[in-house]
Amino acid sequence: MHALAKLTTVETKLLLREPGSLVSVLIPLFFLIVFGASTPKNDTVLLPMGMAIAVGLIGLYLLPTTLAGYRERGILRRLSTTPVRPGYLLAVQLLLQLVLLAAATALQLTVAGGVLGIHLPARALPVVLVCALGTAAMFAVGLLIAALAPNGRAANGIGVLLYFPMAYLAGLIQPVAQMPANLARIGEFTPLGAFRAGLHQAWSGQAPDLLPLVLLAVYTVVISAVAARCFRWE
Amino acid sequence: MAIIEVAHLRKAYSGRTVLDDVSFSVEEGEVFGILGPNGAGKTTTVECVEGLRRPDAGTIRVLGLDPARDARALREVVGVQLQQTQLPENLKVGEALDLYASFYQAPRDWRELLEEWGLTELRRNRFGKLSGGQRQRLFIALALIGDPKVVFLDELTTGLDPQARRATWELVKRVQARGVTTVLVSHFMDEVEELCDRVAVIDRGTVVALDTPAGLVGSNAGPQQMRFTLLVDTDPVPLLAALPGVTAVDRDGAHVTVHGTGDFATTVAARLAQEHLLVTDLRIDQRSLEDAFIALTGRPFDH
Repeated sequence: MHALAKLTTVETKLLLREPGSLVSVLIPLFFLIVFGASTPKNDTVLLPMGMAIAVGLIGLYLLPTTLAGYRERGILRRLSTTPVRPGYLLAVQLLLQLVLLAAATALQLTVAGGVLGIHLPARALPVVLVCALGTAAMFAVGLLIAALAPNGRAANGIGVLLYFPMAYLAGLIQPVAQMPANLARIGEFTPLGAFRAGLHQAWSGQAPDLLPLVLLAVYTVVISAVAARCFRWE
Repeated sequence: MAIIEVAHLRKAYSGRTVLDDVSFSVEEGEVFGILGPNGAGKTTTVECVEGLRRPDAGTIRVLGLDPARDARALREVVGVQLQQTQLPENLKVGEALDLYASFYQAPRDWRELLEEWGLTELRRNRFGKLSGGQRQRLFIALALIGDPKVVFLDELTTGLDPQARRATWELVKRVQARGVTTVLVSHFMDEVEELCDRVAVIDRGTVVALDTPAGLVGSNAGPQQMRFTLLVDTDPVPLLAALPGVTAVDRDGAHVTVHGTGDFATTVAARLAQEHLLVTDLRIDQRSLEDAFIALTGRPFDH
């Protein structure tokens, strides 16, 4: 227990020293402030976009880069020579990245609701449910990248390469209303797109559509199973 | 008492034999070297002993524990410095030691280790900013943090400049002085010669020799030469030719060359002194472990 607490403390410090974590929090916030200033109060598009950007950046970029780097540097292997299992480090990292994402999301909601005066959904449950499933699906993709990438730099490259097409199809670069209809339709079937669509429904107060939720759950199960099979400790 | 016992170890990766019947034992308190060229199977051998890999066959006991079965108990009592490991760039020296100390039930005081390895000044420095020699010091300190009975040091000085290598050798001597049994994996002849009490030479997955460095050089380096100039006019050939280890004596006026094996030079020198024969320009062609390796494997030691 002592080791786990120490590991969490040290990994937290490392995460805070990593410029990537700050970037993952600031980019979606910056996006929100720039576009939020001229947005009507009853907007239902902007916040789901910002929240999906944060999930995309952390899941596709920060998480796999960190994990693949730990393997590349032999840190997981070095840990397996001590009484502590290297799996603890992965668990602590996953937990911290979740906390970072929660902080980025909370910051966006606070700024949107408190400063910009943008409407927030009355019912929290659908939002929480979509967030949980969307985060799980995107973290699964991140774990798969970490499993397949030979090193930290490759993981970084794959993450960046995947981010832009996924973000475009999900309607994060251009709102879906302005996208070609067929691309927008395809986008709803991608993990990031299903996440944004689910959030958008929660924001509009519609009865939650089952399709994005089921899609996210299936993505999570299938992709994390593949990632677990492919993961190498060294 | 043997701290480590390895018997008939075999390991193959996808059909390619990496270890073929490797056996050796390491006594308490000694520095035991595992020497061989790259790809000889040194690292695979120690990784089996450390419990990081499972051998296909053979038995291993470390402090009476089986690395495969008693992994958790074993990890409390061994310290490991792995080849080519790093730490996170932004981890500070003090944090690294504090963190690794928390992994063990009865660790050493990490501040004491900082002091002992000259790291106190660097405790707030990040790993990414350390020099090669400073990193090695940190890795040795980390290997010792659990207060182990045995440490494994794998290719400790690869990539260091000559000065940092010498400094690292002093560190290993200090580990030994503390009574910690040390297994040193190296492909440097001079390093093994300088540090190890006994050496297992591994080549192509088998132990081709196991002896003290001096023993390896003496028994495997082939015939050696001793040359001197006699200051008195006498024929030394009858006197020296019959000495143990001497294979031939050549004389060219006052210049004498004695050929022999093993420790013949000491015997010859003693005999000369006994007969009060004064000599000058005494030269012994020093054979090295490198010559011994060539004699053992029939080919030069390529790194």
